[in-house]
Order: sequence, then structure tokens, then C-alpha cells
Amino acid sequence: MFFLTYLRRELRRRMRQAIFIALGLALGIGLVVTVTAASAGVRQAQADVLRSLYGVGTDVTVTGAPPKPVRPGSAPPKGAQTFQIGPGGAQVCQNGKCHNPAGQTIDRLDSAGYRPISQSKVAEVAKLSGVKAAAGGLVLTDTSITIPKKFGQPGGPLPTPNSFTVDGADTGDLGLGPLSAGTITSGRSLRSSDGTSNVAVVDSSYAHSHKLKIGSTVHIVKHSFKVIGIVAQPQGGNPPDMYIPLARAQAIGTAAGKSLKNDVNTIYVTAASAAVIPAVQAEIRKLLPGDTVTTAASLASQVTGSLSSTAKLANDLGRWLSVLVLIAAFAVASLLTMAAVARRVREFGTLKALGWRSRRITAQVMGESLVIGIVGGAAGIALGFAGAAIITAVAPELSASIPGSNGPRIVSVGGGATAGRAFPQAAAPTVAVPMSASVTVAAIVAAVLLAVAGGLLAGSFGSWRIARLRPADALARVA
Amino acid sequence: MYQLTDVTKLYATGKRTVPAVRDLSLAIGDGEWLAIQGRTGHGKSTLLNLLGMLDRPTSGTIEFDGRNLTRMREARASRLRAESIGFVFQTFNLVPTLSAAENVEAALIPLRAGAAERRRRVEAALESVALADRARHLPGEMSGGQQQRVAIARALVKEPKVLLADEPTGNLDEDTRDEIINLLEKLWRERGLTLVLVTHDTAIARRAGRVGVMSKGLLTIQAGTRPTHAGDPVTG
Repeated sequence: MFFLTYLRRELRRRMRQAIFIALGLALGIGLVVTVTAASAGVRQAQADVLRSLYGVGTDVTVTGAPPKPVRPGSAPPKGAQTFQIGPGGAQVCQNGKCHNPAGQTIDRLDSAGYRPISQSKVAEVAKLSGVKAAAGGLVLTDTSITIPKKFGQPGGPLPTPNSFTVDGADTGDLGLGPLSAGTITSGRSLRSSDGTSNVAVVDSSYAHSHKLKIGSTVHIVKHSFKVIGIVAQPQGGNPPDMYIPLARAQAIGTAAGKSLKNDVNTIYVTAASAAVIPAVQAEIRKLLPGDTVTTAASLASQVTGSLSSTAKLANDLGRWLSVLVLIAAFAVASLLTMAAVARRVREFGTLKALGWRSRRITAQVMGESLVIGIVGGAAGIALGFAGAAIITAVAPELSASIPGSNGPRIVSVGGGATAGRAFPQAAAPTVAVPMSASVTVAAIVAAVLLAVAGGLLAGSFGSWRIARLRPADALARVA
Repeated sequence: MYQLTDVTKLYATGKRTVPAVRDLSLAIGDGEWLAIQGRTGHGKSTLLNLLGMLDRPTSGTIEFDGRNLTRMREARASRLRAESIGFVFQTFNLVPTLSAAENVEAALIPLRAGAAERRRRVEAALESVALADRARHLPGEMSGGQQQRVAIARALVKEPKVLLADEPTGNLDEDTRDEIINLLEKLWRERGLTLVLVTHDTAIARRAGRVGVMSKGLLTIQAGTRPTHAGDPVTG
């Protein structure tokens, strides 16, 4: 075909220039692909962090309101334990009765971060318009402290707290909640028949560090639970250390000294569609005005740390840098194409004298530019893959902090802290997130479109010049 | 074939307007060989461009086979050039990346001839200029005379009515010049072409049926020493 023969010969003639233009486009497109891959990687890391917290398919999460801060000097809530240190040593008081806990181990499974929500609200949420499914859960922290015998005396040893997180999972609906995001690596997951059994699924990291395996026994507030499964959660999250049936968590957990029977402190909600999430959020806020209603999007915005900074860097600086490089590449490609057209004025004038119409000559030039653009796009995609691989290989591990997420945040004894509180509340947990950049199909499609656009843009400038070219002028210019 | 009436072509150079062709009236008959002579910059090439519709007159009319070229749209002008007018340039103007055969084939592209038809006509055209054995050679691999013969084959492959040649021997040595002019004359005789040839060379001009001399945009027709091919009456 004459068109292709002419195109191939012409590109071969100015191969160095064609390669230069293609490399410029490749650089711009490669940068776009790399930045897009990095952004996708960061988004994936964020998603992993959030998924490990709230599981797969959770669009809206409701958590009980945080406990009211206790004013210094005020009486502790009824049933709450206080821990006081005086001249006579340490004392634990509950409902006005105090005793010396020296030598004792105090163990509590407490909803320290969230106030309880009545379990009946879960059903009410499930009935709201736009809600596809809702499941309740209890996010609890088991904290045990062994009080040394000489604690509180001059030179006496300090107590050593030990805590782990426990998630009470609704065995009637395990498709929602943190457990749904994990992969069972050993044993089995919870079942609906486990509702009242003392069985636990343990997080793989916790199991590894505590040498737990299937059949091992773990103690949660002095109750023995049999390990029936080991679960691995997505990297980068801060998952609960173990999962037990919700009914058992309600039976043995407390909040401010009160039993959690018929209570939850978290509701996981799936919306009927992404479009109705804001409406569902508003409905739940109306139903549960004092509680915290969070969507995945709003939670993502609360993620801080280097993960958040990297996301901003990739989204803002990376995007603008890519745009600038692309503009520069397109401009260079356009200028070089125009220069090439200027050098071929006599050729095009001759073709017009032979009866070639401007649009045919234009198509020839556009075809040449398009081929250069496509070659540049292919090279750009390769560069993008290379850039993504380099980022994955050399990028440092990122960190993410999520306010309000579960985790070992409370290291205190008793649900109602008082002026005599011995241990401070921990900051929001920070988790390490491995940074990986993966090239997506969307990025490749975008690269191809950019390459075609770059080629057409460069060709259109040259074509504009050809269209304006009068054959007599073209021939006279070199005569 | 051609009827030019009061044709003027002005060029603007800065604030000045320069007349390249002034009040030119001329009739060129079918099969005639008209040579145009004159000093550089006196309007010879401009006249050739006007005849080939590569440029439009500032005023006056040009008719080709009864069709007014002055008002013809560019698309139709392109079509007419593709079908009826062949050009031969002083600098050959071959596309350097295309072979001799492909350069000749380029003239058939606007005619939308099929690939087999194009191949047949290209072979015949190259045969007619005795370059069949150089079909695959690039212009850079051929001598000036061979390149000009390829250019002539390119002009004639579409079997035009008119051949417009602008200093076709200007870049050639004396022997090659004679070879090219002999070839052009042979083709003119065999094909009944209308040949308008711009040349500085008086010896070449003398071989034409009529000779016109351009001076400051004005054309003066002189009687030729040889009869025109078609034998039509010539006025001018």
C-alpha cells in the first residue's frame, strides 16, 4: 500500500528525529504511568488499611460515641473501678469499696474507646432506605495488669500491663466486619453455630508472636477460648488480635463497668449502591445522633502519616509534574513536526502539483505523527512499568495513623478513668504500610490515548501548515 | 486548449506590488509546442504556474478546454491537475525516500487506480523513458539525467493533455540536455501532447513550434521555425 510505504520510508529517513520525538513522548507518558501506578499503590495501601479495620464491602461504619472525659475530682461512674496510689500503697476501688490489690491480677475486657450502642439499633439501621446489610460488632481491649506486692512503696516495682484487642464478630453475618477481609491460613473461620462457644480465630501476627496454633487456648478475662483458626489480614492494617463470637464478647465484655449484654459498639453497613452512601450516612446520623458515622471516604481522609503525605505527593505534585512533562513533550513533538514539514515544503508542493489534495498530504503527515506517538506510547508504558518496579523496590515503608481505629489504644484499668488514673490513653495507632506501585489497565489505556493525542496534536500543527501551503509558493520557495 | 485573456499576476513584496505577468492574452492550441524564453524574474515560471493552476491570476481569465480555471475550486483544480496536466521541474522534485517506480506511482495516487493498474502503467512509463531497469533505485542513486527521466515518466504516466516543463535541462550537462530534449520531443510527437516549455536555452527554444519571450511580465510571441505538432492555428 502506497500510504504505508511512503510513511515507512519517511520515518526511516528522519529516524533520529522520530526517535527523539518518540522518546520525549515516552518520557511524559512514562511519568504519567508511573505516577498513576504510585497513586494506585497508595490508594491500594489506604484501602488495605481501611479494609483490615472494617472488612470488605463496608460502606458506612457506626461507632459508639467516645466516653465523656472525666472531670478531675468528680465521682467515678457507677460500677467503674478506680486505681489509686497513696502512702499505704495502691488501692482499687469500686462503688466506694476499696481493697489493696497487691499480688493480684486485674483483667478487664473493655469497650474503652466507644460507648455501647443497643443491638436493636442494628436491625433498625438494616431497615433504613438504601441499606443493603448491617451487622453489629464489639471492638474490645483485653487489658490485664499484675500488681506487684510492693507496688506503691518507695522503690517498689511498677505493674506490667498486657493488652490485646478482641473483636466480637456477629456469627450470623460474617460477610461484614474486619474478619471478612482476612484469609484463613489455618483451621477455620467462625460459624453461626459457634454463637455461644468459647472459640477464637487469632490474627496470624499475634499467633506467631505468641506461638499459638489450632487447638491452643487463649485466656480472655479469665475465660478459656480454643483457637479454631488463624487469619491473615491485608498488609498495612492494624487488625484485631483475635475474633470471638459476638454473643460471647457481649457476655464477658464491659463498658464503664457495665455489662455489654445486648450491646454492640460498632455497626458495619453496606449500602445498596455507591450513590446512596451519603444519604445512608445522613439517615444513620438521624437514627443515632450521638454516635460517629463514618464512610470509607471520610475515614480515608482521616488517615495521616507518611502514607497520607505520599498520597498527596502522588496526587498533587506527581500529577502536575506529569502534566508539565507531557506539555513539554507535546510542544517539542509539535515543533519538530512543523520543522520537518518546513523542510518538506518542496515535496508537498510537488505532490500538490501532481494533483494530491491537501487532505491526502495531511493524512500522510498525521499518519507519520501517529506512528511516532504510538511508538512513544509503547515506550512510555514500558518506562512506566520500569518506574513502578523501581518505586516498589526502593520506596521506604510508609506509616499510617487512623484516629478512632481499633487497636491497643487504652492501657488503663477500669472503664471510668479518674484523677487517680495510672496509665495514659495511647495515641492513634500507627501501622507500617509497604509501598507498592502497580500499573493498572486504566493507566495503560490512558497512556495509549495520550500517545494518540500527542501524535495527532503534533501532526495537526504540521497539517495546518500544509493546508495553508499554496503549491506555487511551495515550489517557488526552493526554486 | 488554453485561452488566456488579459491575465495579470501581481506579487506583493512588502509595501510594493510587483507585476509578474501583465495583460497577457494568449491562445495555445492542442498538441502545440510553445517555448517561453526570457531573463530570470521576468515572469516565465509565473506563467507556467498559472497554466498549471498552481497559482491564480490577480485579474483576467484562463480557460482550459473551455473551463474557466480562474474561479475553479481547489478540489476541482487538484483533480484537473491529477488528470490532465503533467509537470517537469528544473530540480526534478522527486521524493527522495521513494524509488523511481514509487515516484512515478505517486502521480497515479490521486486517480485512485488499482494497485495492478498502477504497476502496469508505471512499468510502461519507465519503459518509455528507458529506465525500466532502475525502477527500484532511489533518486540519490541515479544521475541527474536519469532523475529527470523519472520526472518525465512521472509527468506522463497519467497520460495528460498538457506537459508543463520549467527549465527541464537547467541542471543538466550538454549531452544529457540533448538526451532529455530529444526524449521530450519524441514523446510530444508520439502522444500529441501540448507542451509548454520554459527555457533559457535558445537552441532548445528553436525546436518549438512557437517561441514566446517574457520581458517584465509582458509576453511577445515570435514565429517558430518548425511547424506545430497539431497544426492548429496559433494566435497571440
